[in-house]
Amino acid sequence: MFFDYANVFVFALGGAVLVFGGMWLGSLIRPKREGEAGLEPYECGEKPIGSAWFRFDIRYYTVALVYLLFAVEIAFLFPWARVLKEALADDAIGGLALVEGVVFILVLAVGLAYVWRKGDLDWVRGISHTPDDPEEG
Amino acid sequence: MSRTDLTALSPLLVVALAAVAVLLLISVRRNHRATATLTLAGLVLGLVSISWAATVTPHQVAPLLIADGYALFYSALVLAAAVVVCLLSFDYLEQRGEQREEFYVLLLLATLGGLVLVGASHFVTLFLGLEILSVAIYVMVAYARSSPLAAETGIKYLVLAGASSAFLVFGMALVYAQTGTLEFRPLVAQLSAIEGSGLALPGMALMLVGVGFKLAVVPFHMWTPEVYQGAPAPVTAFVATVSKGAMFALLLRFFAALGPGEARPLLVVLGLVAMASILAGNLLALLEQNIKRLLAFSSIAHLGYVLVAFLASSAFGDEAVTFYLVAYFVSTLAAFGVVTVLSDNEREAERIEDYRGLFWRRPLLATLMTGALLSLAGIPLTTGFVGKFAVVAAGVEASLWLPVSVLALGSAIGLYYYLRLVVVMLSSLDAGAATESAADSGRTPADPGQTPAWPRAARVGGGAALALGLLALLLLGLGLYPGPLMDVIESSVSPLR
Amino acid sequence: MTLILLIALPLGGGFLAWMLGRFHAQAARWVSLAALGAGLVLALNLWAEQVGGEVLPNDGSWLVEFSRAWIPQLGISFHLALDGLSLLMIALTFLVGILAVGCSWHEITTRVGFFHFNLMWVLAGVVGVFLSMDLFLFYFFWELMLVPMYFLIAIWGHERRIPAAVKFFIFTQASGLLMLLAIVGLAFVHQRHSGELSFDYFDLLGTPLGGVTGMLLMLGFFFAFAVKLPVVPLHTWLPDAHTEAPTAGSLVLAALLLKTGAYGLIRFVVPLFPDAALAFTPVAMTLGVVGILYGAVLAFAQTDLKRLVAYTSVSHLGFVLLGVFAWNELALQGVVMQMICHGLSTGALFVLVGALYERTHTRDLTRLSGLWAVAPKMGAMGVFFAMASLGLPGLGNFIAEILVLVGAYSVNVALTVLATFGLVAATIYSVRLVSRAFHGANDGAWKFPDLSAREMVVLGVMVAGLVWLGLYPQPVLDAAAPALSQLLPVMPR
Repeated sequence: MFFDYANVFVFALGGAVLVFGGMWLGSLIRPKREGEAGLEPYECGEKPIGSAWFRFDIRYYTVALVYLLFAVEIAFLFPWARVLKEALADDAIGGLALVEGVVFILVLAVGLAYVWRKGDLDWVRGISHTPDDPEEG
Repeated sequence: MSRTDLTALSPLLVVALAAVAVLLLISVRRNHRATATLTLAGLVLGLVSISWAATVTPHQVAPLLIADGYALFYSALVLAAAVVVCLLSFDYLEQRGEQREEFYVLLLLATLGGLVLVGASHFVTLFLGLEILSVAIYVMVAYARSSPLAAETGIKYLVLAGASSAFLVFGMALVYAQTGTLEFRPLVAQLSAIEGSGLALPGMALMLVGVGFKLAVVPFHMWTPEVYQGAPAPVTAFVATVSKGAMFALLLRFFAALGPGEARPLLVVLGLVAMASILAGNLLALLEQNIKRLLAFSSIAHLGYVLVAFLASSAFGDEAVTFYLVAYFVSTLAAFGVVTVLSDNEREAERIEDYRGLFWRRPLLATLMTGALLSLAGIPLTTGFVGKFAVVAAGVEASLWLPVSVLALGSAIGLYYYLRLVVVMLSSLDAGAATESAADSGRTPADPGQTPAWPRAARVGGGAALALGLLALLLLGLGLYPGPLMDVIESSVSPLR
Repeated sequence: MTLILLIALPLGGGFLAWMLGRFHAQAARWVSLAALGAGLVLALNLWAEQVGGEVLPNDGSWLVEFSRAWIPQLGISFHLALDGLSLLMIALTFLVGILAVGCSWHEITTRVGFFHFNLMWVLAGVVGVFLSMDLFLFYFFWELMLVPMYFLIAIWGHERRIPAAVKFFIFTQASGLLMLLAIVGLAFVHQRHSGELSFDYFDLLGTPLGGVTGMLLMLGFFFAFAVKLPVVPLHTWLPDAHTEAPTAGSLVLAALLLKTGAYGLIRFVVPLFPDAALAFTPVAMTLGVVGILYGAVLAFAQTDLKRLVAYTSVSHLGFVLLGVFAWNELALQGVVMQMICHGLSTGALFVLVGALYERTHTRDLTRLSGLWAVAPKMGAMGVFFAMASLGLPGLGNFIAEILVLVGAYSVNVALTVLATFGLVAATIYSVRLVSRAFHGANDGAWKFPDLSAREMVVLGVMVAGLVWLGLYPQPVLDAAAPALSQLLPVMPR
């Protein structure tokens, strides 16, 4: 019964070989030129300015949020819209496809409303301001 | 998507709807009490809708979800646990000034994840449920942002859970590569059809890593004490019960479908895991001074006990697993419930010293805590005893002598630390019996003026009191008269095999 | 219904005592006394009916029975039954319970209600053990005894009570788990033969067992009972628990809890596993003799009075093990007598030591001397119970030990001869106890009040019981005889 695990063992071995073998192979064939420039962080071919270790502005979070709400949503809605017409014609599915799409958008709308109300969409907010809703504190 | 489908999915839909409704409520008006009430209503409605869904069982919804008696039983368990956690959370959050309302959205979502897991009949739903559950728990674990441990705990859980999910998905991919399907039933049929195990066994072994992590069994248990300690007490209760119980329900469903030939190599590994969990959990708990960590280690051992019944892979074993999980839910929720109501906004009542003399300060809470601990230890009168009896019976029936002996050994070790806690609660340090304090030589603080005036919270809120009362009733009732529950369990696990 | 009442009385009385004790300590004591008194009356009434033979049969069948389905899925029923053996033990339980309440009247002053609650629940567990005819139910009560007993030791005990309580609990619980495994194993073996899962004693009797399986299952039971009895290598919890427990706790431990082990041997180990028990006889009897001698020697070496008495228990209960495995009528009669007499005599010694400790706050034999002059009544009682303990003819213990020895002689002469030395050793430690504590000069200049009327009543009851058992043991032997004659044929010799 433990013999079954020969598979697992071979598999794990294969994984290890792929990783470490690749690294080893790379170290054999890659050029070895050590110098100042090689150790510097790469920043689009420009000379780096300052340290890479600094804090990002939390407000970029808003961008990510908006992106999630509007862009990713589209990624889901395109395929849905593509087949909607046939789905409507199909008796088995019928209007349900439309309803599902609407529910999806509505849920996202509730999310948007929540974020909006919470003030997370405001680009500039006072630092002293508590993140809580001003009404409840 | 027919009307029957919707009926079968009604518990899921109700909880999902409740989550959206709560979010909407928060954006309209922030009010802790209203949010909690709406959440509670959603969960209770979900429980009620189970009886509605039961009218159409068994029903397969697409290839993804199945609503049979088994799924509904575990759904009820998950929802009931969520109700208890919700009731406990209200008072807990009420003491704290931070944003409280969002917690309930997360609670509902995590519950939804649990519901998806117990109804999953397809790897995609498995993963979907797991992620809904996990992502919500990531945030819940770190919810007490002012606590110094919160961020650390959150990160630890996030990284480890993410890694384990990766294992799970990779395992699924391998299984898919071998069988060409992700649906449980066809997949099992494929597995028995092919010669040798090919990539399927490595795949399932990898999946066990992901599952083992969620269940917190040795050797995937490292996160448990950290997360139990760092998370707010009601969240710990949730992680300890719902997230493990739902995963176990799924594991049982999958293995019950698996033929003996395919399951056997995996059961060997799970047997080792069970024994290691029992021993490691009990031994590590022996010297623990933090009660939340202690309960974490004890939960590792308990999952080991459940695995022993699981190994029996018989109908009787399935019943024992289910009964034990119910008993474990009740006892664990009761124990963490007491921890929750004793905590105040300064810190949680997690040090063993906080419980010194609790019997004489808060007799009811101490009695409940004792009951919960004795139930975890498997002493008669409590539901834990019947659970342990069922597990032992299942193990003996399947002639699993080695795991059962380890179980007996583990239980004997476990007694020591459960009793240690009971002793602390019994020993007196209050003014009334200061004369006795000298008796506990070496243990008592030298200066009686430093006696912990802890916990200070004097009042148990109505919701928490209701939840604790209910748990106390179940703790005793299921220990004395388990027959009806066993009937329900028997009929609900019967579709498995 | 009577059987339910026998269990419900201490359970309910204990609960009531706890509730009332929150307002009024004295009420808790009286409630406990009343509940136990009612139980005793009930038990004696049953006994009278059995002797009369009109209402209840006295031909050896079961006197009273009660059975209801409990967890039908697992073949578990709430099955109680009573025969002469159980009847005697239950009468003893209630009697000792009353005495325990009596002797803690002044000793326990803190949390009186909770104390009586625990005391009564221990007694309820003991009664349940003596009545259960379903192995699951038996295990249930077996474990139920432990928790309140643990509380009794851990809350109201002496200086080192916590380690003692934990040790007691873990020893008994761990061995209990082995018994649980054996119970489940036996039920499944039975299921394999009959196709029906049942934990009922009567169903499981006569289950055919292979050699090794039978031996392993028998050992599972034997371990649990051997820890309780205690049998020598497993006895180490007993001196600690006895020493640290409050007087009532020691009394209940010695007089009742140890007897549950003896009862389990008679009721379960031999009848359920006759072949394995027969094969195990030489080992068990040797262990019994080792216990008799070892306990006696250690008792002689103790300076702590309570430890001394505790080791005498080890010695006396060696006779029980010897007698049970001799398994003939004389030996078993002796075992039953020993169970009752040891309960009374050793229990009384614990009460005496407790009374002494209450007054002098020491149990150190080296510090006590010449107490006869201070407390003549106590001295007289001390001499009486020491004599009972050493087996003075005319007192119950003599009858018990002689019966066991005569019974065992027909089975194994050498071991019986060795066991007889236990009687000699008993004389030595008993006399040492009396001469050290009560004779000689009062070096410690002790001065304290003699036994009070309440204590005299408690001890007087025990004196009366021992004298009665020593001079006219026939009623007890008659009560047990039918039950024993039913059990005897299971292991033919």
